[in-house]
Amino acid sequence: MSNMSRRNFILTLGASASAALLAGCNTSKNSSTSSDTVSTDVVDPGGYTLVEDGKLTVAAELGFAPFEYMDETTGEPVGFDVDLIKAVAEKLGLEASYLPNQKFDTLVPLVKQGGKCDVAIAGITITDERREEVDFSDPYLDSNQAIVVKKDSGETEESLNAAGKKVACQSGTTGDEWITENLADAERVPLDDVTAALTGVSTGLYDAMVIDLPVASWMLTKSFSDLEVAKEIPTGEQYGIAVSKENVGLAVAISSALQSMETDGTMKKIKTEWFGSEI
Amino acid sequence: MGLRTHIKAPALAAALLAVVLALPCSALAMTTDKATAKPNEDGGSGVIGGMDTRLTWEGTVEEGESVDSVTLTIADDASFDGSTTRITVLEGLTRVNIEGEAAADGNSITVSFADPIPAGSLLRLEVTNMRFPSEGGDYSVEGSYVDGGQTKELAASPSISIIANTPLQSVVNWLDEQPWVAAWNSNQFLGMFFKPQLLVTSFSSLFPGWVLCLGIVIACYPFAIVLGLVFSLLKISKHRLCRAVAVVYINVLRGTPLFLQIYIMFFGLPMVGINIDNNLLGIIVMAVNSSAYLAEIFRAGIQSIPRGQYEAASSLGMSYVQTMFSVILPQTVRRVIPTVTSDFITAFKDTSLLSSVGVMELMMFSKNLTTVSGNITPYVAAGIFYLIVTLPLIKVVGVVEERIAASESGLSRKPRKRDQKKGVPSVQ
Repeated sequence: MSNMSRRNFILTLGASASAALLAGCNTSKNSSTSSDTVSTDVVDPGGYTLVEDGKLTVAAELGFAPFEYMDETTGEPVGFDVDLIKAVAEKLGLEASYLPNQKFDTLVPLVKQGGKCDVAIAGITITDERREEVDFSDPYLDSNQAIVVKKDSGETEESLNAAGKKVACQSGTTGDEWITENLADAERVPLDDVTAALTGVSTGLYDAMVIDLPVASWMLTKSFSDLEVAKEIPTGEQYGIAVSKENVGLAVAISSALQSMETDGTMKKIKTEWFGSEI
Repeated sequence: MGLRTHIKAPALAAALLAVVLALPCSALAMTTDKATAKPNEDGGSGVIGGMDTRLTWEGTVEEGESVDSVTLTIADDASFDGSTTRITVLEGLTRVNIEGEAAADGNSITVSFADPIPAGSLLRLEVTNMRFPSEGGDYSVEGSYVDGGQTKELAASPSISIIANTPLQSVVNWLDEQPWVAAWNSNQFLGMFFKPQLLVTSFSSLFPGWVLCLGIVIACYPFAIVLGLVFSLLKISKHRLCRAVAVVYINVLRGTPLFLQIYIMFFGLPMVGINIDNNLLGIIVMAVNSSAYLAEIFRAGIQSIPRGQYEAASSLGMSYVQTMFSVILPQTVRRVIPTVTSDFITAFKDTSLLSSVGVMELMMFSKNLTTVSGNITPYVAAGIFYLIVTLPLIKVVGVVEERIAASESGLSRKPRKRDQKKGVPSVQ
């Protein structure tokens, strides 16, 4: 698990990059082969690089309760994912350090581009499209989607799939995609913020919102008592921790940390704390 | 018409009977719940044939069955070659982990499961990077499944509409094949900010957003000017109450971000039961916000007119209102034109903030496109759209300012350096 010091790493990186340039084969920066050479040259198999030594730098969209949200009094990120990534970092002998709040649809590009964060964890569903951009750890939680509407509005999946209906979602989420495929006739309104979308449904600005079921349940109990889940959409999607493709060692290390948290009961403890039972 | 219906009726009845007879047989079979395809039209919502898309197929395993494998088939030259398949098995909302292997063979794909899928479970197959037939049309997913060694037919899914390639998409596909485009895009910066394919699609799909932006700002501006004039007159009024009202209005609106005002109006008004169309509300917010800035511009303009003009007007026996409307304001108009145009430019750019509350304007379209494509080019295209409006206006401001400066200094044109040089020796 020991890393090279940063200076060493940069030196080696520079050396190997210039060697590649001299060889005249490194014309494009974004081809996967060049990055493969760099990672095999520099990092011993199973090792990984970090943005900041001794810290696991985490990017997240912090408006996704109960997975990650800002504590009202301290302003610190709290939630299931936060506890989870802190435990993972601890297993790796690191300290989890959160970046300021990011927009959800920028998380995958942010991880892909590298340099700013090591991982992104924000209830990110593992999809094949996203796997073309980044690597994922093993899945850590199963989830589903839900259609949230105003109580007694009588809206159903069928009635929402009509011209003139506005269905909100968080931009770039699987709920967003679900609307384009399954409510093709409705107008899809992608927003940055879950609370803004739910407030919109509550005030009648939008007819519905499609969002991950655990988040819907949490938000409806905590702050939006005038809304209800019109339909639970069984998608069985799985959340994973996104890691750059150039940092394969980190994804492997995180997956094995998750595995050992599963066996030593840490995972069960965190799940019970946030969901009342193991889900 | 009536006659034809009569003739058709027996045939219809026969068809219905056939369906009713067929139903008991299909009750003991895996049902096809749905099949959808992910839109792959750049900046649009259509599914284009012959291009990579994602097929999502769902079926429920009926009582007494356990499914070992499922084969999905789409007619004609659909292709599953090179696709990846994601298997999801659900009992209610609980995920059951079942592994499987997918084998693509032209227009069909067979997914075999490591463990048979039990009765009552929902099976979802997401096939990424498959292609529908390129000529377009309505296609339904058919196929078969194996239940304990017995191969059975799958009910055909509701049909998915596939569109043939659009002219725009053909241009994009043509660009895809060009070597210079590939070379251009291989530069990370150029490929991320100026990807030719995305520029083409952005220009076409951002256009409605640009029109809406222009529409909002053009519709709001007359109201902003009238409101601004009213408040500027109130602010220079002799009555203390009028001045107080104007000062509060102007300072609160100028002292808070437009973003905040948009949030208050868009989320606040519906909460007190006032529901206004989003675009109209956008016009109102922009008009109110601009009016505060315009009020200050007008006030400064009015006060820049020398006092002598008022005295001259009153010596002619004009009332205050007459003085204002026939002497002061006409002179003010000329002086404020450059500043008002600048404010118009600001207001036009500020319509971008409306994207945060779901008004489908330029930024909203480009943001959607960026989300889908993971590329910055749509934002660059949006920037070009903004510049199409703002650059000519900025030029106008410059020209008008020059003219005013010239006329105020009593010269018909801007003095040239040569003229000044000529003048200098004569003073000596």
